[in-house]
Amino acid sequence: MAGDPYAALGVKKTATEAELKAAYRKIAKVDHPDLNPDPAAAERFKAAAAAYDLLKDPEQRRRFDAGEIDEQGQERPQRRYYRDHAEAADNPYARSYGFENDADMGDVFSDLFGRRGAGGRAGTGGGGFEGFEGFGQGGQQRDFHMRGQDHRFTLEVDFLTAVRGGKTRITLPDGSDLEVTIPKGAQDGQTIRLKEKGGAGLGKGGSGDAYLTLTVAPDPLFRREGDDIFLTLPITLAEAVLGGKVATPTIDGPVNLTIPKGATTGQKLRLRGRGIKGGDQQVELKIVMPPKVDPELETFMESWRKSHDYDPRVGMNSGSRS
Amino acid sequence: MTRYYSSTEVVALIDDLTEPRLTAYLRASIVQPVATPDGPGFRETDVARLQLLCDLDENYALPEESLKMVMGLIDQLNAMRGDMRALLRAVASEPDEVRCRIHSSIRVLRG
Repeated sequence: MAGDPYAALGVKKTATEAELKAAYRKIAKVDHPDLNPDPAAAERFKAAAAAYDLLKDPEQRRRFDAGEIDEQGQERPQRRYYRDHAEAADNPYARSYGFENDADMGDVFSDLFGRRGAGGRAGTGGGGFEGFEGFGQGGQQRDFHMRGQDHRFTLEVDFLTAVRGGKTRITLPDGSDLEVTIPKGAQDGQTIRLKEKGGAGLGKGGSGDAYLTLTVAPDPLFRREGDDIFLTLPITLAEAVLGGKVATPTIDGPVNLTIPKGATTGQKLRLRGRGIKGGDQQVELKIVMPPKVDPELETFMESWRKSHDYDPRVGMNSGSRS
Repeated sequence: MTRYYSSTEVVALIDDLTEPRLTAYLRASIVQPVATPDGPGFRETDVARLQLLCDLDENYALPEESLKMVMGLIDQLNAMRGDMRALLRAVASEPDEVRCRIHSSIRVLRG
C-alpha cells in the first residue's frame, strides 16, 4: 500500500472503529477482485484491505498516527484471490456454463473443450477421475478428430414463400444441390440451420452445419408487420359510393371483401385470420378515378354538386390563415 | 420500435413485484430503466430482470446487497456466454486449417 490509509478507506482520521469497518465493507462489496473484473477496482480493494488491516488494530493505529510506523508498518500476509485459481482448466469446482447441450453451438463447443463436455460429468469431478478420463483420451488424441467447418450463406426468398413457408433449392459451393424448407412466417434476417450440411469432419469428427440467413424480398402488393399483412386495395368510385363485394388478394389467394356503402380513401378494413399464423390482414381502401372523365359523369356531377355540395376540409384552416 | 413499461405496468405484470420492492431495486440500481418524460421506462430486458430478481428474492430470501452481488455475477456470466457464443460461431466458420490450429492451442492451454 502506498499513501494515506485513511484516504484509501475514504474516512476521516477521527473515524471510529465501526466507521473503519463499515468503510472497508463498502469497498469490499463493490470492488472485490473476485466479483468485479475491473483492474482499477482490484487496486482500490487492495489499498482498502491493506489500510483496514493496519488500522483495525487500535495499538497499530495509535503507532501509525504517532508516526512510529509508516503505512507499510507490517508485512501483510499474502492474500489469495479465488479467481487466480478458478479460471484454471483443472479447477475442481469448474461448472458447465451451458454450451454442452446447446442446440446451436453444442457440437462446436465439445469439439474445442470436449474434455469437460463429455456427458453430464462437467463440474466437481475429483482429481482421480480427471486422471482416469485423461488416460482414456490419451489414446484417442493420437489420431486427430475434428468437426467439419460450418458454412454460412444468405438466401433470398420471395415474400410469399417466406410468409406461407415452402421449399426452395440451393446449390452448395461443392456443387451439390439441396432442398431447403422455409418455415411458415419466416422473417427477414432469420437463420435456418441445416445440420451436417457443412464441411466434412476429420477423423471421427462429424460434419459441420450449414446456416442460411434469409433475406426476404419485398412484395409489390403486401407488406408485413409481425404476423399482420397490410394491403392497399384500389376501388372504383361506384364501389365507394354503393358498396359491394370485391375480390381482394390475400397471401392465401383472393377473398371477397365487403366494401361498406360510402367507403373512402384511407379507410381500413380487417380480414381476420388472413395474416400469418392467425394474424390479420389489414386492407386500406383507395378510391381510384376512372381513366377518363366522360361527359356523362361530368354532367351528373355538375347537377349533383348544385344541391349536394360538401366541404371535406372543414376544420382545416390552412391557406386561409391570413 | 421500443416499448417502455411504466412502474405501475411492471408491478401489475409481475406477480411477485410490489411497489416497495421495485423502489428498493431502483434505489440499489439493480435495475436501471430508461429515463422518460413520464418517469422510469422499463424495457423488455428490465421486465425479465425484475422477474428474475423477484424469483431470487422469493426463493432465497436474499438481502438487497447479496442480491446485487448475485446479479452482478449473473450479468458477468451471461455477457461471457454471449461473447463465447460469438467466438464459437466465428471459429466454427473458419477453414479446417485454422480450426486445427485453434483446436491444438486449446488442448495445450486447457489440457
